[in-house]
Amino acid sequence: MKPNLRYWLGAPAFLILLLIPWFFQSTFVLHMHTLIFFYIALTAVWNIPAFGGKLSLGHAAFFGIGAYTATILYVKYGITPWLGLLAALVVSMLGGLVMTLPLIRLRGPFFTLASIAFAEVLRMIAIDWRSLTNGSVGINIPFKPAWINMTFQGGKPFYYMSLILAVGIVWLTYRLKNSALGFHLRAAASDEEAAQALGINTSRAHFIALMWSSGLTGAIGVFYVFYIYVLEPHTIFSLDLFSLQPALNGIIGGMGTISGPVIGAILMTPLGEFLRFYLGTIQQGLNYVVYGLVLIATVKFIPGGIVSLLTPIIKRTPGRKKIPLSGQVEAR
Amino acid sequence: MALLQVKNLTKKFGGLTAVKDVSFDVAPGEIVGLIGPNGAGKTTVFNWMTGIIPKDDGHIILDGREITGLPAYRRSLVGIGRTFQVVRPFEMTVLENVMAPALARTKNTTHARQKASAVLAMMGLDDLAHAAPGSLTLAQRKRIEVARALATNPKLLLLDEVLAGLNPTEVAQNLPLIRQVRDRGVTIIFIEHLMDAMMSVSERVLVMDQGALIATGTPAEVTNDECVIKAYLGEEAPQC
Repeated sequence: MKPNLRYWLGAPAFLILLLIPWFFQSTFVLHMHTLIFFYIALTAVWNIPAFGGKLSLGHAAFFGIGAYTATILYVKYGITPWLGLLAALVVSMLGGLVMTLPLIRLRGPFFTLASIAFAEVLRMIAIDWRSLTNGSVGINIPFKPAWINMTFQGGKPFYYMSLILAVGIVWLTYRLKNSALGFHLRAAASDEEAAQALGINTSRAHFIALMWSSGLTGAIGVFYVFYIYVLEPHTIFSLDLFSLQPALNGIIGGMGTISGPVIGAILMTPLGEFLRFYLGTIQQGLNYVVYGLVLIATVKFIPGGIVSLLTPIIKRTPGRKKIPLSGQVEAR
Repeated sequence: MALLQVKNLTKKFGGLTAVKDVSFDVAPGEIVGLIGPNGAGKTTVFNWMTGIIPKDDGHIILDGREITGLPAYRRSLVGIGRTFQVVRPFEMTVLENVMAPALARTKNTTHARQKASAVLAMMGLDDLAHAAPGSLTLAQRKRIEVARALATNPKLLLLDEVLAGLNPTEVAQNLPLIRQVRDRGVTIIFIEHLMDAMMSVSERVLVMDQGALIATGTPAEVTNDECVIKAYLGEEAPQC
């Protein structure tokens, strides 16, 4: 998409989104939009390591670490969640560090599998470390509406906060992708060895990407938990809500692209909610069957995600075309 | 003083000794050809020099500095550039492919873009800057491979069969590039199977056979060397 076109489409869309809360009073409409914005942000930060080809299925770990950090600081020590946000960012990064150091050299499915295990271990810790986390019961955030408490009457403030969060984070990933780091990651994703032979420290690039991603995921976790008031290990470290969902959004929208996570989150979040409410009540787990089918269809028929359908053919599959061996007239 | 010194390089893969006790020097500004039958260990020498395969034994000294223990990306940063025998373009535009190595040296994308554009212009690829490498001919992709390596500002450039798979017209187009690059101050070692091309460009030739360096000299000397003839044709030559 040309930059001009992007602004022409983006600016009115943003304006409409700013106005929505004033025209639709329904809680459901606001909630659904807020959730979509959360997932856009979450998918976009999940996507940062994916620029380098690292597929994480353990982002619930950082989401949970962030949420727990801010909640415990607020409920037990009375520290405002705005400071908790910074703490969450740092602690989630530390979590990322602990996960990354042993895993960074693992490639392909091994990294992915290890990331799932990491999130599951943290969930177990959250359940068993009762003195800190209150175990399976979880922690309720007292309802004391005030800016300083990040608690509000009505859904509008969170609507706007999550909108700004989504826009800010997508912009940030756009900047990252076009920075030196972005180039290093994309080169590493294409060919790790060739990238190193050209002077790119690929391990460092993957590491920095995971640091950005884990820290920001933790921060999003803080907003989320203060939006729903309840912190409970099975939800907050949930494999399907915060590890699989962003990954699905990213893969279906277009992994490693800027608009992919946005498109994926916009399409999949309402679908996910719908399936959970309707199919989930008919037969538990039925919603995941549909999810699985959507995912299989995407990977089978549009491996580049929905984004790849929207971009010109020449850019769609670089390097995957039939290779002309020789004898072709040079295109000059 | 020699720009590059390789001392006693030995590399084993399991029970197979791919390279045994190879030592050579390369002077600044030289164009050195590395030849030998298939399986002689030429690419292994390149892979070892660039740090892509770990060392078994041997030392590599660039510009008086021992770089034997450095990881692959550091060797590129100290000045060893290379191309791969099988072209390996990244999945991005031609310009971005050449920007990537430049961005390992500067964080500034504008500078990197200028640098990449300059290299592409020199390689005659400026018209293709925004094309996807996958849509180009092999000859063009081999040029991208060279352009990408040049964007690393190498002191020493290792070219692995940049002419293989090209038709005679393309070879004639790509061959002068090697001299052109050297004339810009880059020392070159290149592996090539096309003997005419090799002999016309290189000033000195190293010949490998079965992992060992069996001859070194000017193209004329090497082609008359008994051991080299034996390695290629299998004739009797008792002194080898």
